[in-house]
Amino acid sequence: MEYLIHLAIVISIYSILGLSLNLIVGYTGLLSMTQAAFYGIGAYATAIAMTSYGMNFFLAVVIGILLSALSALAIGYVLSRFDGDYFTLGSFGFNVIITAILVNWRGFTGGATGIPAIARPSLFGFTFSGNLSFLVLVLVSAVIIYFICQFIVRSSFGRVLKAIREDEKAIQVFGYNTKYYKLAIFAIGAMMASVAGAFYASYLSYISPAQFDINESAFILSIVVFGGLANNKGAIWGAAFLILLPEALQFVGFPSGIAEQLRQVVYGLALVFLMLYRPQGLVGEYKI
Amino acid sequence: MSIIPQIILNSLIAGSIYSLVALGFNLIYGTTKFFNLSHGAVAVIGGYVAFYFTKSLGFGIIISAILGIFAAGFLGYFLDRFVFRKLRQKKASNMVFLISSLGLMIALQAVTALLFTSNFQIFSSQFTSYQIFGGVITQVEVIIFISAALISVGLFLLLKKTRWGRTVRAISDDEEVSKIVGIDTNKVISQVFFIGSAIAGLSGVLSGLDIGLEPTMGLLLLFKGVIAAVIGGVGNVYGGVLGAFLLAFVENFGIWGVSAEWKDVISFGLLIIFLLFRPQGILKK
Repeated sequence: MEYLIHLAIVISIYSILGLSLNLIVGYTGLLSMTQAAFYGIGAYATAIAMTSYGMNFFLAVVIGILLSALSALAIGYVLSRFDGDYFTLGSFGFNVIITAILVNWRGFTGGATGIPAIARPSLFGFTFSGNLSFLVLVLVSAVIIYFICQFIVRSSFGRVLKAIREDEKAIQVFGYNTKYYKLAIFAIGAMMASVAGAFYASYLSYISPAQFDINESAFILSIVVFGGLANNKGAIWGAAFLILLPEALQFVGFPSGIAEQLRQVVYGLALVFLMLYRPQGLVGEYKI
Repeated sequence: MSIIPQIILNSLIAGSIYSLVALGFNLIYGTTKFFNLSHGAVAVIGGYVAFYFTKSLGFGIIISAILGIFAAGFLGYFLDRFVFRKLRQKKASNMVFLISSLGLMIALQAVTALLFTSNFQIFSSQFTSYQIFGGVITQVEVIIFISAALISVGLFLLLKKTRWGRTVRAISDDEEVSKIVGIDTNKVISQVFFIGSAIAGLSGVLSGLDIGLEPTMGLLLLFKGVIAAVIGGVGNVYGGVLGAFLLAFVENFGIWGVSAEWKDVISFGLLIIFLLFRPQGILKK
């Protein structure tokens, strides 16, 4: 049971990440490979605020969200000058830079060894120390974020995003300043990823830079591509599938180290086959 | 003793490795116009094949290196034949090419780790080293420098002076028109993949000999090659070489005085500066 709760927590966290990146890649058509950086900023901001400054988790999350939003605006501003492949390449670059800062700014981030002993959230004297209560908290947040995403993509703002994806020049002709729309959604996605990071830090109670590197960004992108671009439910399916895959492999009898590598083989090849035969993902609406 | 000669030597070695990666990357980019993210993983597999033949089967180092280079070449050929050619036929968007080459990178890297473990491995630590202008350089590093020079010149001659080179340049200019005038573009692109990947394999073998091998090092090799290519002007084969040496010098002088861990920040910083202010690279194509 405890094991199932653990899986549900991890799936919920990655669903938030999938949802957040889906707004950027699926709905707006910006192939960003830097989502793990914002996930990491959220996790680190929360962890540092809690361990070094003794702040409450919920206050720390807000700080993380603000910090992610600010970095996303700065990074997004630079990236907004690139398009196509160069956007992706630049976003790769920012992820590497953020990870390197986490590794090298030792006095503040604990360096490569990371930050241990991050507490569980507590509110009005109640601590979410049990995994079940933690799951409820994460699940409620994931559901809220899901509805925010649904709201965004159905709003007029969301329609502009989709129009940018389909034909940016055409929507510019109608007088929309697409740059601001792209920046806004980039920051919104980063804020959501930051929430996921906060939960991740608090759940594992330990974080290190390697958990937020470029491979993690690739993994989050795979969740989105797998589940389906421009489909919020798809992001959740993608997260569930890719998290459960190595567990299933272990269940069949592979040792955990090998199961982890096999997962990468399977999802790497799955990306290739999806691109060859079903570029919109399992349930996606947008065919890249 | 001054440290500057050693920094210059280190920059020359790093620049040679980067230029090999960039040469193959640019060659492939020139004809296919997409960022092949699996290029680094292919390079590393070349290194590992050489490692396998010399360590486990006891082959000579030269034979093993050649086998590694050919293995990488064939791998690149097969990737094109079974993945990228199909995507080209479907007229897939660049995003599709990027994601599928990312998928290939992830899968190849994991396969390498499954076959050879994810530990760091070295060929041998016994290489003769020479003193030169107050710096130290190993035999392998001399070979790295010479191979980079030979491959650059060889590729230049191949592209400029041969009939095959002309068809490659024609495809780079316009694939559709090349098809119309009767060039078998798929065949030529597959050959380009073979040659580009074989050069990548050489860089994998050489950096394996020099530093060692690790399944995840492909990503970094790829990035250095791509950054070199962007600095020099993407798709411009000679620009890539120039970019590689510029990158290597900036990196190695940049970490003078600060921790070596900032190297990647410096290289990506350079990339972003170039993308912002001179996206067409040093040499405009």
